[in-house]
Amino acid sequence: MSKTTHYPSYDVMSHAEHWDDHTQHIVTSRLIREKSYSFLTTVEAEILRAWCSKLVGDMRGEIIQYVLCHIDQTLSDGRGEGQRKPDVAPAPELIRKGLKAIDATCQSLHAKHFFELEDYMQQGLMKDISEGSAEPASIWASVPQQDLFKKLLNYTLEAYYSHPTVWSEIGYAGPAYPRGYIRARAGQWDAWEARLENES
Amino acid sequence: MNRKYANEEVDVVIVGAGAAGGVLAKELSESGMSVVVLDAGPMWDPQHDFASDELSMQRLGWEETRLVDGRDPLTMGHNNSGRGIGGGTTHFTGVFLRFHDADFRARTLDGVADDWPIGYDDLAPYYDKIEKEIAVSGPKHFPWGNFHGPYLYPERDPLSPNAYVFQKGCEALGIRHVVAPLAILSAPFEDRPPCINRGFCNQGCMPNAKFSTLIVHIPKAMRAGAEVLPNCMVTQVMTDKHGRASGVTFVHEGKEYVQKARLVILSAYVVETPRLLLNSANGRYPSGLANSSGWVGRGFMTHSSHDVYAKFAEEVRLYKGTPVLATTQDFYETMPDAGFVRGYTLHAHGARPLAFVKGIANSQTGLLWGEKLRQTALDYNFYGRVTMVGEVLPHPDNRITLADEKDDLGLPRAKVTFSFGENDRRLIDHAVVKMGQILEAAGGKVEFVVPDTAHLMGGCRMGANPDESVVNSYGQTHDIPNLFICDASIFVTSGAGNPTNTVMALAARTADYIRKQAAQLFSLSEKPIHV
Ligand SMILES: Cc1cc2nc3c(=O)[nH]c(=O)nc-3n(C[C@H](O)[C@H](O)[C@H](O)COP(=O)(O)OP(=O)(O)OC[C@H]3O[C@@H](n4cnc5c(N)ncnc54)[C@H](O)[C@@H]3O)c2cc1C
Ligand code: SF4
Repeated sequence: MSKTTHYPSYDVMSHAEHWDDHTQHIVTSRLIREKSYSFLTTVEAEILRAWCSKLVGDMRGEIIQYVLCHIDQTLSDGRGEGQRKPDVAPAPELIRKGLKAIDATCQSLHAKHFFELEDYMQQGLMKDISEGSAEPASIWASVPQQDLFKKLLNYTLEAYYSHPTVWSEIGYAGPAYPRGYIRARAGQWDAWEARLENES
Repeated sequence: MNRKYANEEVDVVIVGAGAAGGVLAKELSESGMSVVVLDAGPMWDPQHDFASDELSMQRLGWEETRLVDGRDPLTMGHNNSGRGIGGGTTHFTGVFLRFHDADFRARTLDGVADDWPIGYDDLAPYYDKIEKEIAVSGPKHFPWGNFHGPYLYPERDPLSPNAYVFQKGCEALGIRHVVAPLAILSAPFEDRPPCINRGFCNQGCMPNAKFSTLIVHIPKAMRAGAEVLPNCMVTQVMTDKHGRASGVTFVHEGKEYVQKARLVILSAYVVETPRLLLNSANGRYPSGLANSSGWVGRGFMTHSSHDVYAKFAEEVRLYKGTPVLATTQDFYETMPDAGFVRGYTLHAHGARPLAFVKGIANSQTGLLWGEKLRQTALDYNFYGRVTMVGEVLPHPDNRITLADEKDDLGLPRAKVTFSFGENDRRLIDHAVVKMGQILEAAGGKVEFVVPDTAHLMGGCRMGANPDESVVNSYGQTHDIPNLFICDASIFVTSGAGNPTNTVMALAARTADYIRKQAAQLFSLSEKPIHV
């Protein structure tokens, strides 16, 4: 059976009062998500909801909602991408065209939206796109599949692994200002760090 | 905008307040010159703008899009360029190494790249000065290179769990190792506290234990009278009828301004400095300023920086402590029979969740996602990591050029074209094997090798010959004597260690030169020049 966490009773948020105000504010705001989007349409958001939860192997609504909001904000606030290959469209365009292509593919093969497909079909299409081999060519000719896949993976991971619930699960003790870490040798833990719990 | 020197011609205008720009601003204003510093990004307040959070602190990097090309397109943004007062030093990891004598003599020693027009001894007094100024902490004895310590401040203690793992692996293999020399305090200094091992150095240090020019050099420059203007993107270097630099134009909140100056210094880092020179092309200098050699933008380098992750039976906890605390330079210089020339440094290197997950999702074995990625990430605390800083040889085809696409200000975007060479690849392969051996000797099992790069250098290299270089060893452009370039772009080779100590030592040396030559430099302005 696949494991869920080594630290079932750990909750990084229970230490939030020890973080500086600025960090507290940023992290806490990830727990409350509103559902209005400035960039994504409803269909796009629903495709992404299914897509992103498959990317991280997690269906929990509130966490995936934060991922969607992060993607929406990133695509709408006009910030740069750091880098882009010359033959790839800017992120908002790449993702809009990409989601359209995903939808068109699902419609042409199954007359359904991506989020209406069976699990294994979703998985299969995602794998094809990650390898750049999704068909039909008429739909995918102008969308670089692997660039699309990697961009979405990157956005999804940066949001998902910034969610405090996920921090708790992986045993990340989180922000450490102003108190810092002191006990650093093998087998030493500061008081607020997660402790391995027996998994039998 | 409230201005001190709005309509005046100042002695010096400095573009970019990063590692080099900060040092220049302090040195030149303290010597009595009128100085204006312009930086494209904000004036950060560490206690209020920084947070212990990887995602939100990505904005310390230069996020503006660059086009990346070549066989090995680079990751830009937070991965290498800073933005805002302090530049890259606000989010650098603080590893503070000197180059070795061999780094300045690649052509002589190994028949590759070029020699620098200066040697280690020319920089030694400036390394001393900079290290003293920021109280670098490090070992009593540093076994490699020309400088063997002791460092001004004692080495850090305790280290991080991952650093102890690294030490254990090195011990087992007979590899020498030290606690890394760091621009991070091990005891109080001036009004700053020692490090609390919070582990966020490359997301901005909140307690100010880590040096940055934002908190050290810029405040001193301002006290000496320098005018420091954040959120001012310089768009052009202006030249006068004699062909000399006469100042810069910049944009602040959508409005364009001019700053006249007798001396212009570009410290905007490896991509933006060449971009600015190329963007400043005019009738007299049609291929860009300071570019009579055609070398502006050419031969830029990065460091190869592959990471190796190994899984251990016990927890390591990569998030704890200053990321780099243990280091070896046993493989720094050309090894006989290794099949390649030059070398690399290895660091124990911590990682918080985002860096870890983004890394393993894109490892050499292919994309990792879905349930498999989630299961792996649940074992985050059981991974240890080693990182390399490998020398990459310069190649003229690795270059910064202007793209057709424009940015929001209407300026052509930078295009960054990069491919590794054969020597670079062999060097990486060697280092990856060594990193794996160290981790396995410490009891781990290698699971991921993640290709990466770090640190940019070159693109406006220094040299004695004006036909093959952009500046002389003081950063003075060969073509326009009152136009200086002083940042990581003037490097000739990349060396095999983290570069910022060298960037700052070069800046201190340039400042010294400008100070000594001031009378002559400032009197130049009326004489025409011939290119
Ligand atoms: C994550 C990370 C970790 C690192 N760790 C280390 C380390 O441990 N040790 C080490 O030695 N090095 C490290 N480095 C490298 C280090 O950051 C650089 O070597 C150093 O900052 C380069 O200094 P610079 O003065 O050339 O440029 P920068 O410090 O980048 O400064 C350039 C400045 O110019 C400004 N600018 C650019 N264009 C314009 C314009 N047109 N108008 C106005 N302003 C402009 C930018 O906003 C920026 O502030 C690290 C870098 C990164 C990204
Ligand atoms: S580990 Fe030390 S230097 Fe780094 S951010 Fe924390 S306090 Fe600052």
